[in-house]
Amino acid sequence: MYKVVIPGDFVSDDVNRAGEGTYVEDGKVYAVTYGVVDDKNEIRVVAFSGKYIPVMGDVVIGKIIEISFPYWIVDIASPYEARLHMSEVAMRAEKRVEFGNMSAYLDFDDLVAVKVINVDAMMRIDLALQEDLDIGSEGRLIEISYTKVPRIIGRKGSMIRMLKEKCKCFIFVAKNGRIWIKGKSEDMKLAFEVILMITTEAHTSGLTDRVAEFLDSSRQKVKKR
Amino acid sequence: MKKGEEIEFIKDGKRLDGRTFDELRNIKIEVGVLERADGSCYLELGDNKVIAAVYGPREMHPRHAQDAKMAVIKFRYNMAPFSVDDRKRPGPDRRSVEISKVSREAFEPVIMREYYPKAAIEVYVEILQSDAGTRTAGINAASVALADAGIPMKDLVSSIAVGKVGGEVVLDLNAVEDNYGEADMPIAMIARKNTITALQMDGRLTKDEFGRGLKLAMNACHQIYELQRTALIERYNKRESVKFEEREA
Amino acid sequence: MGLEIMDDVRKDSVRNRISEGYREGDRDFREYREISIEKDVAMKAEGSARVKIGNTDVLVGVKLDLGEPFSDSPAVGVIITNAELVPLASPEFESGPPNEKSIQLARVVDRGIRGSETVDLEKLCIVEGEKVWIMFIDIHVLDNGGNLVDAAALGAIAALQNARVPNERYDLTGDDTLSVRDTPLAVTMVEIEGNILVDPDCNEENAATSKLTVISNADGSLSGLQKSGSDSMTEETILEMVEIGIEKAGEIREKFLKTPS
Repeated sequence: MYKVVIPGDFVSDDVNRAGEGTYVEDGKVYAVTYGVVDDKNEIRVVAFSGKYIPVMGDVVIGKIIEISFPYWIVDIASPYEARLHMSEVAMRAEKRVEFGNMSAYLDFDDLVAVKVINVDAMMRIDLALQEDLDIGSEGRLIEISYTKVPRIIGRKGSMIRMLKEKCKCFIFVAKNGRIWIKGKSEDMKLAFEVILMITTEAHTSGLTDRVAEFLDSSRQKVKKR
Repeated sequence: MKKGEEIEFIKDGKRLDGRTFDELRNIKIEVGVLERADGSCYLELGDNKVIAAVYGPREMHPRHAQDAKMAVIKFRYNMAPFSVDDRKRPGPDRRSVEISKVSREAFEPVIMREYYPKAAIEVYVEILQSDAGTRTAGINAASVALADAGIPMKDLVSSIAVGKVGGEVVLDLNAVEDNYGEADMPIAMIARKNTITALQMDGRLTKDEFGRGLKLAMNACHQIYELQRTALIERYNKRESVKFEEREA
Repeated sequence: MGLEIMDDVRKDSVRNRISEGYREGDRDFREYREISIEKDVAMKAEGSARVKIGNTDVLVGVKLDLGEPFSDSPAVGVIITNAELVPLASPEFESGPPNEKSIQLARVVDRGIRGSETVDLEKLCIVEGEKVWIMFIDIHVLDNGGNLVDAAALGAIAALQNARVPNERYDLTGDDTLSVRDTPLAVTMVEIEGNILVDPDCNEENAATSKLTVISNADGSLSGLQKSGSDSMTEETILEMVEIGIEKAGEIREKFLKTPS
């Protein structure tokens, strides 16, 4: 059973283990968000909801929303816009990338898999292209709250492994809650349903088992047809 | 105002609606009632019906109003034209601008604004039905909606008004009492810390009445805090049981 | 928020000095800056006063117009209090429609006058349901040296005390005296580093995180309270501020508002 807390709830006396989603005041640890307590090595409060705040090293899926030489301005499902420098595509570009032709490489509404390479105090965010992930071609984008991402991944990747296997899809779960699925349309539909199920039941126990059951039963239905 | 003297507001220690001096009206709280908002809450305080929505943190517009060190809180208290006896002209008036400011400041001590430099956290409170005490109902709903949106906060904020009617200091005036009331004093408080984040008073009170009124309101805020807390905790317990039932069916 | 006039360094220096017990101009924590009142400064107004508290300079004018009463209160006159924070008074003020600062200022002053029933509104009624006096109290800030509320509230009551009802201008007969029954005064305090400071100047206002205005009447009762600012306050601090507020208002009343009438 998960312990649900609200902001200001006392969580622990162990100040040294105070982690994400908590704050320390007068030698005690309190919850800073509405969520559930995760008491393992660190004491964390896993929020039920909230907005993605980029951290260096995160791989996220972005959408080009503006071209402002020499940058592409990228929406990363966060309160903060990020920027991708022109030089990032220079390597794979056939011609010199320059003022005026940037949209030939990445245009408005294009999706990109990118890595957060710098976040400064003013929340200026620099991105690098994640070359090994091509999400430009056909597939499906799902957007969920970033707080649900750990549940999609599962403990040591158990959930996502099962999803990929049983849905027979390529699934890439980005830190910012955007998920890219590529596969046959029937398979993608199933993956979409399962992901929706995980997000609405993210804070219930025994979820992995139920998802497995659900996947097996829907596969059987498909076969019977 | 003189007409009020004809009404007997207090009879045998009870008020017109049967409440004692220190009794709250019924409070109903529902969490997560809106689809599009990041967080929301519907709240009833007696005959007041309010709904609060929270958006953000998101990009602050206009850009020059951004704060490089922390998020800006935008708070808009708004009355629906049909929420009062005489239709209220839509849009902000001086009263709502002041209430919005005081309400925003009621939350500034608890919201971790420094987590989100340059961003905006937006709180919208709509009064659907008004029966005195709408600003306190709005603050209570906003507090729950902020939690629902996952906004990092040190604590919830709870709010209630006290007033003076028929010569007595009483808790949580309803509209009839407020119309003829001699004083009205809304407060907002961090219940766990017993500190005040908003305080206003109009009408006339002696120093002693003020002191008693403040105590009365502070005690009531503890009760309201428990209701806000229960609404939030129950929401997830309920959700879990619903899902299990569906599976069995 | 908005234009940051004072940087953090200056805020810190104010806080540091306060925690060392020192206040700008060697002022005691419970001491007002020098107050001066000049009455009848605007000839065209029914009543007026210019109040200076240190560098703060506020002009208040009272005008009476004929108008219709509100439908829900046909037998009483109307008070409308308004404040303008004109750009001339501070680099922080901008021209344009009233913002939340000016609205709050006007409404707090208004609350004090209303709550104390200073003006006998029934006497402002000429013909019930048809014709009443509409009294405008206009607060015009000339220089913002901090603590506008106290200056405006003092200015408003001083202006009311010398206001006359302009019967002649409207071909009406009647008593020109305006009955002013009480003297609600605002005393504003801030808390900085655990100290309560009366009458904050603008550097202190910026350095403080919370502020309380206490409006009290001649009999020591309260007719208005307003907390503002981004920090919370304890019950003890509030009670202490109320105590101080009543005391300080008494001192100002004694010194400036003793009128023979």
